[in-house]
Amino acid sequence: MAKKDTFTVVVGCGRLGAHIAQTLLGSGGGVLVIDETRDSFRKLGATFDGILLCGDATDTATLDEAGIGSASALIAVTGDDNINIMVAQMAKALYNVPRVIARLYNPERSIINEKLGIGTISPVLLSTKEIESALNIDEVPV
Amino acid sequence: MKKRVVIIGGFHKAKSLAVSLLEQGYAVTVINENREHCEILAEIPHLAVYNGDGTEPFILEDASIQNAEIAIAMTKSDADNLVACELCKKKFGVKKTVTLIGDPAKTEFFYKMGIDSVVCEITTITGIIEQQAFLDEISTLVPIGDGRIKISQVPIPQDAPVVDERLMDISLPKNVLIGCIMRGDTGMIPRGDSVIRAGDVLVLISSDEHETAAHRALLGK
Repeated sequence: MAKKDTFTVVVGCGRLGAHIAQTLLGSGGGVLVIDETRDSFRKLGATFDGILLCGDATDTATLDEAGIGSASALIAVTGDDNINIMVAQMAKALYNVPRVIARLYNPERSIINEKLGIGTISPVLLSTKEIESALNIDEVPV
Repeated sequence: MKKRVVIIGGFHKAKSLAVSLLEQGYAVTVINENREHCEILAEIPHLAVYNGDGTEPFILEDASIQNAEIAIAMTKSDADNLVACELCKKKFGVKKTVTLIGDPAKTEFFYKMGIDSVVCEITTITGIIEQQAFLDEISTLVPIGDGRIKISQVPIPQDAPVVDERLMDISLPKNVLIGCIMRGDTGMIPRGDSVIRAGDVLVLISSDEHETAAHRALLGK
């Protein structure tokens, strides 16, 4: 649950980014969403009242404009692993954002984030785990 | 054993760099995502070519990146270059990583992430153009020792007081040395009896406090 005094920057307004933004806002936290294409913000729906910023999140000018310095968390969920890694590393190394999470389609790339204190979410690993446990449930009757 | 260099991404630049490195006796491998580009690159003798995304660990592994001494990232995307270099360094233990970068504002950040050498195309090229455009003016080439020692090039115009003088007859301040006289396409290490000609470019090594005095002695202003 997001607390009232949190401020989360979500980079990339795809399906996951939009859903995270809505959820965090719904639980009372401050949310700012960055995406390169304005059209992507439509996924958030008309009632979304978080802050929208159209721009390139790998540009420090955009991150400054987003007020990244005061963010309690940054979540990088664009469709490009390498962009997510770079934005996450910039947030950590240049702006010292306390919580930084990057979504990586390829979990093998996560090794380069490990020592920097950046969390990695990999849909492949999560799905594998879920599918595995679903299979196990079917096999082992409770 | 030849030193091994792996070039990730880039086509024209990668091609010309690969040829130059091969000539210098390196074992060179290129990784390129574009199949057609790979086919053209593969025509270069002795160049090993791998088709694939150089930010994918398994592609880097295919290209035996762990045996490389130097990895050079030249893709168009700063993010791809960063990830390629970090994988080479952190996952495969490559000793030296070099990258091209498009956005000069990120140079420091790339160094902070452990890349050994960051080359910004824009600042490098504008730097060269500036140097060429203002060649008739004094320019500092290299500051050494926190800038206390400077190597500068001083073009000698026709009306300079030192034209047709021997070096030994010119009174230069202490802590100043004329390290090289460049005349046309050749450079020579001067001796006391070397004569300065109009149009020469002198390479001056000086402490920063004596630099201006040296310029005054040579140029009369």
